[in-house]
Amino acid sequence: MSSPQFREPLIEVKDLYVYFYTYAGVVKAIEDMTFTIYKGEKFCMVGETGCGKSVTSRALANIVPSPGRIVKGKVIYYRDGKPINILELSEEQLREIRGKEIAYIVQDPSSALDPLYTIGYQIVETMIDHYTVKDWKEGYKRAVELLREVLMPDPEQRIKNYPHELSGGQRQRAVISIGLSNMPRLLIADEPTSSLDVTVQAQLLELLRRLVREHGLTLFLITHDMGVVAEMCDRVAVLYAGNIVELAPVDEIFKNPKHPYTMGLLRAVPNPQADIEKLEPIPGTIPNLIYPPPGCRFHPRCPFARDVCKREKPPLVEVGPGHYVRCWLHAE
Amino acid sequence: MADIKRFLARRALTFIPTLIGVTFLAYIIAFAIPANPAQAWAGGIKANPEVVARIIKEYHLNDPWYVQYYYFMKGILTNSIIDPRWGYPVMTYMLSRFPITFQLTLFALFFLIVLGIPLGIVSALKKDSWIDALVRTWALVGVSVPIFWLGYIFIYVFFYQLGWINIAGIPYPKVHITGVPIIDAMLSGEWNIVWENIKRFILPGFTLGFAGIGVIARLVRNSFLEAINSDYIYFARMRGLKYRRIMTHALRNALVPVVTVLGLQFGGLLGGAPITETVFSIPGMGRAMVDAIFSMDFPLLIAGTFLVAIIYVITNLIVDILYAVIDPRVRF
Repeated sequence: MSSPQFREPLIEVKDLYVYFYTYAGVVKAIEDMTFTIYKGEKFCMVGETGCGKSVTSRALANIVPSPGRIVKGKVIYYRDGKPINILELSEEQLREIRGKEIAYIVQDPSSALDPLYTIGYQIVETMIDHYTVKDWKEGYKRAVELLREVLMPDPEQRIKNYPHELSGGQRQRAVISIGLSNMPRLLIADEPTSSLDVTVQAQLLELLRRLVREHGLTLFLITHDMGVVAEMCDRVAVLYAGNIVELAPVDEIFKNPKHPYTMGLLRAVPNPQADIEKLEPIPGTIPNLIYPPPGCRFHPRCPFARDVCKREKPPLVEVGPGHYVRCWLHAE
Repeated sequence: MADIKRFLARRALTFIPTLIGVTFLAYIIAFAIPANPAQAWAGGIKANPEVVARIIKEYHLNDPWYVQYYYFMKGILTNSIIDPRWGYPVMTYMLSRFPITFQLTLFALFFLIVLGIPLGIVSALKKDSWIDALVRTWALVGVSVPIFWLGYIFIYVFFYQLGWINIAGIPYPKVHITGVPIIDAMLSGEWNIVWENIKRFILPGFTLGFAGIGVIARLVRNSFLEAINSDYIYFARMRGLKYRRIMTHALRNALVPVVTVLGLQFGGLLGGAPITETVFSIPGMGRAMVDAIFSMDFPLLIAGTFLVAIIYVITNLIVDILYAVIDPRVRF
């Protein structure tokens, strides 16, 4: 599935703008964001801290944290071929979608689980509130199965444990089984392994890949790790300062990166698909999004910056099959 | 549950140094009074020297302080110290007054819980609204206004002007089970006595609890806000849990610190009881202690201090147990 032609969209983001209204000013976290996730694919979003990856993922179920607000745009979710604009739903309709059709796996499982309830309870309540099990008894049975499926050791005992009694990896497994509990159509994993140590990371990524394959889920994975991207994804979107700068099938990104930022990113980490002699950092720092640079947001750090880059924002153009770039180098 | 027995035994042992410390301090303060208590007990300036000498011998008043203290504590523990003014054993006398003070404190605690907690929750949910401002003002006024002033104002308004309440006598039910009038009346179903007790105690209880209500409301507000803004509540929303269930999670987490402070407040209420009882002429333990101070009746005073200290440590024990019930991270 390296050249993905899943042409049935699951969720479409169109022209999305998310701003954060802080005391310091309006943080323009996401601007002009457009992408589609197709049914059954593994879609990755990669970028530095603060580039808007998480915010984008939260916007998919309209749960952007305060003081953030979606100021413009559409999020179209396809249920049985029927388009639904997520941003026009009532809070109760959204609640019914969240956790059931669009489920999240969060970055930090230690703070995401309520310390006062057993993990069994927290898995079961997620199902009870979506009516996917008939009662608590059935729920607990199901919770044991789920924990077994995410390879939690000794699941019958673990459901009685409180979060603080588990290790980091076990907690993340619990969070993953909460995400899976209602068999969502879209599973959003927001840096699911970055708070864990490397050996556990590899196990969990393998687990996620298996779960997605076996249950036919669609995965939206957020990461800052190009290695994870290479291992997990079908298509990848590279984010810089709230904009998608490049979107392409995963092989294309590694073999044929077009955007200077993507190229820089690949030179800054060990690339599994190209020989590079030494790692080079990208000069400069991420811009202040209250006063983002005019024109292309990357131009202050770009070795190829020209006059037009400082004045005008480049459009996202298709440069190859399914390969989009937002850069003046490729816009003409 | 074997754990809890060991925990209780261990905690009971720690009571001993606490109680010795408290009574010792009270004793030292009483000992430091530069007056001659024996003279006062025997009838003042014109007292019969023979009687004075007998009192000195009886209470070991000419012995060094540590001998005196020893006899005092022995006398209190065996209830063999006779009150020099009344001729009853001091502990018997204090214990007979205790139910009244306990009832007063229960009324105050009732207001703390039924007003403090809901006010806190409402002001958290409606942050920066008029009710939030009211609670903030209440907390400030509550700790600044002296109880006696507040008590007299309330008496003026509700007794003198409106005539809604009683301020004399304690209505006792016919039966004597626990000794606390309102509880006995409830147990025996004498509802008119219950009502009379409410009319008698509602104002002193409110006065005594007034400062605490504001403090508890502020604390509930802050810890509820902290809970609501926590990651696990955000994740609960991402899981699509129902509103009521999310609030239950937030509330239970918010109550962890509140239970501790309620326990401390209970002790504080006992400490405030002397003034309230004096203002409202309630014949409780606090009132007895104030009288004891005026008549230099320090056996009675130390007996009272001893009782209050016992109640205080028991309350703290109950708080510790409650703590473990609410928060699974706390174990014995």
